[in-house]
Amino acid sequence: MKKFLFLITICTSLSLFSQTKTNSEKTKGRLFGGFESNSQWYLNDVERGINHPEQPIRSNNYLLLNYNYGKWTAGIQAESYAPKPLLNFNPKYEKTNLGTYFLNYKTEKIDVTAGYFYEQFGSGLLLRSWEDRSLGINNAIRGGKIILRPSENISLTGLYGNQRTGFDVAKGTIYGFNSDINLSGILKMESSDVSVGFSYVGRDEKTTIENPNFKELTNSFAGRFNYSHDSFYINSEYNYLSEDAILYPITVSNIFVKPGSALLTNFGYSKKGVGLDVSLRRIENMNFLSERNPEVFSPEQTSLAYNDRMMNFVPSLTKQHHSNLANIYVFQAQKSVSIVSDNGIAKAGEIGGQIDFFYEFKKGSALGGKYGTKIAINASNWFNLNGDYTLYPPDYKTDFFATGEKYFSDYNLEISKKFSSNLQGSVVVINQFYNHRLIAASLNIQVNSFIIAPEIAYKLTPTKSLKVSAEHMWADSDRKNWAALMVEYNHNLNWSFYVSDMYNYGFDKNSNLIDDVSDHFKIHFYNLGTAYTKGSSRIALSYGRQRGGLVCAGGICRFVPPSSGVTLSLTKSF
Amino acid sequence: MKKTLLVLFALIHFITYSQNQLPNVKLKNLKGELVNSNLDFQKKDVLYVYSFWATWCAPCVQELDAISEVYGDWKQKISIELIAVSVDDSRTEKRIKPMVNGKGWEYIVLLDTNQEFKRSLSIANVPYTVVVKNNKIVYVQNGHSPGGESEFFDKLKSL
Repeated sequence: MKKFLFLITICTSLSLFSQTKTNSEKTKGRLFGGFESNSQWYLNDVERGINHPEQPIRSNNYLLLNYNYGKWTAGIQAESYAPKPLLNFNPKYEKTNLGTYFLNYKTEKIDVTAGYFYEQFGSGLLLRSWEDRSLGINNAIRGGKIILRPSENISLTGLYGNQRTGFDVAKGTIYGFNSDINLSGILKMESSDVSVGFSYVGRDEKTTIENPNFKELTNSFAGRFNYSHDSFYINSEYNYLSEDAILYPITVSNIFVKPGSALLTNFGYSKKGVGLDVSLRRIENMNFLSERNPEVFSPEQTSLAYNDRMMNFVPSLTKQHHSNLANIYVFQAQKSVSIVSDNGIAKAGEIGGQIDFFYEFKKGSALGGKYGTKIAINASNWFNLNGDYTLYPPDYKTDFFATGEKYFSDYNLEISKKFSSNLQGSVVVINQFYNHRLIAASLNIQVNSFIIAPEIAYKLTPTKSLKVSAEHMWADSDRKNWAALMVEYNHNLNWSFYVSDMYNYGFDKNSNLIDDVSDHFKIHFYNLGTAYTKGSSRIALSYGRQRGGLVCAGGICRFVPPSSGVTLSLTKSF
Repeated sequence: MKKTLLVLFALIHFITYSQNQLPNVKLKNLKGELVNSNLDFQKKDVLYVYSFWATWCAPCVQELDAISEVYGDWKQKISIELIAVSVDDSRTEKRIKPMVNGKGWEYIVLLDTNQEFKRSLSIANVPYTVVVKNNKIVYVQNGHSPGGESEFFDKLKSL
């Protein structure tokens, strides 16, 4: 409470300050920031047998305030999880507190930050600190960072600090160095773009293990290049993580010590009307944490479940579908080693790839019609690393380029077409394979699904429009078939409304179920909601049922428990 | 609950003091060159439309597709430059180039891979549009309404 009053005092003084500025306009000081609030009122749902939690109204709130004066910027982020955070957020987010603060000095050539900062080296396979409020991720680093740009083609970054976990920081100290060099700029190449980069990240953490078989300082290195010429491009990177103890099963083991690596290659060709992109990746033992041992909240729940203390970002390279049903069996990248002697699951990473193809049938052509037709084809396949695995003592030796058992595959096609100036439609067909046994190291359930999702949007007047999306999924196991319908009405730039239902009519209590606890009947997940936006403000209110499962953003997921209730979200930037 | 109310109170207190200048952040373009989000777009009387989007955001892509069809007309009528700021992270950033080219968008594209620019404007969701003229933010639009292009164009003409 005191902290809060303190904050408000700061706010008030800052805002007065900013007012003076706007009035006089002589100096360049300005205040900016934003506010976001996500609240939920959990209700009882008799049909589902859900009793609301003891504290039914829960809310996550963020207030970001920055003040800039010339080359200087200072900022704070206050966070309030009061009276309690939304269900299944990291329990370390408690009550109201100061989340981050920083002071930054920035010119063309130098950029220095003290306090909390966010950073990503290359594609983030060694280091990424970022914030995603919907996932409860804020792994900003508290310490110092300096970026030097001696010329417009060279950028050098050095950093040091500890990663945020809840309202605290993790024990491991992080050291980082990164360079990005634009060679084509230096060599004045006209027709091609060439750049290279190199990164180092170290994590130093004391261990309580006696005579450890690993060093307290774990070193990691990455090298990468980008090349593009006309319509063609290729880029690749290799990352190496020095030997470190592996979690076995949830605490580090002195008998299981291995290095890690990641290889990513991407190439493609694109010009007006056509695009092709191919990504290939191999990941082995890349679970890089700012504290080796996760925090254990209960036998089943560790900080890993909340994506806490993750130093790197290993996203799943699969298409991020906007169809609801295509997000029931969603793949998360398999970056960690997991050897479970009970059920014989042994995996050390993943290998696979993804292909995207975009094409536009031109206006006036046979398939293009009057307005043209767009197609997008995407395919991805991911496998365990092939190799020799030993269950006890845990060990493995992988082959570099060989696929093991399949985790997941997704083949999909999207066609979108404008029929007239008022009517537009699209259809997506998706075939997915999801190997629950291997992905979750759990029950032997494998799901093959086929989804079809047509959608039409109709413009009623220049500002009013209606969108109808239907979906159907045929699945051969777990909860089997689903049907879904959503109707969205946009009244104008300010008001929108939607109503939706997802119906799982294929449920059979005798089949093997991934979630064998909740919603054991043919269930409707209905929802309705409205949103009002004006300027930078948005208020959204909805009511309905939430399916228990993963909520994902950028290929990183958070588990949300089944619930029913009212949701209110509010955002505003200033 | 009290605290939430207090936060709201603090918020209301602020609403009147809006940010009127765009923060300057260094972002890469599709050629890998560093571009200044503010300093490199300061031509007098040009309307710079910063449209925050992502390859996975269906309404964003819809909006940019719709504007793309009339962009040529708009450019003839008013002095405008659309800067499509992609907030795709490294999961989907490789799709940006083939998508932009495949769709034939004629926009300036900037890559906000770790969302520094998005964060500096406190943007919670995309699509989100910020219009800047003579180094001042003159209009902000949160979200997209299908078919809202003509309304948006009327707004732009009035700025």
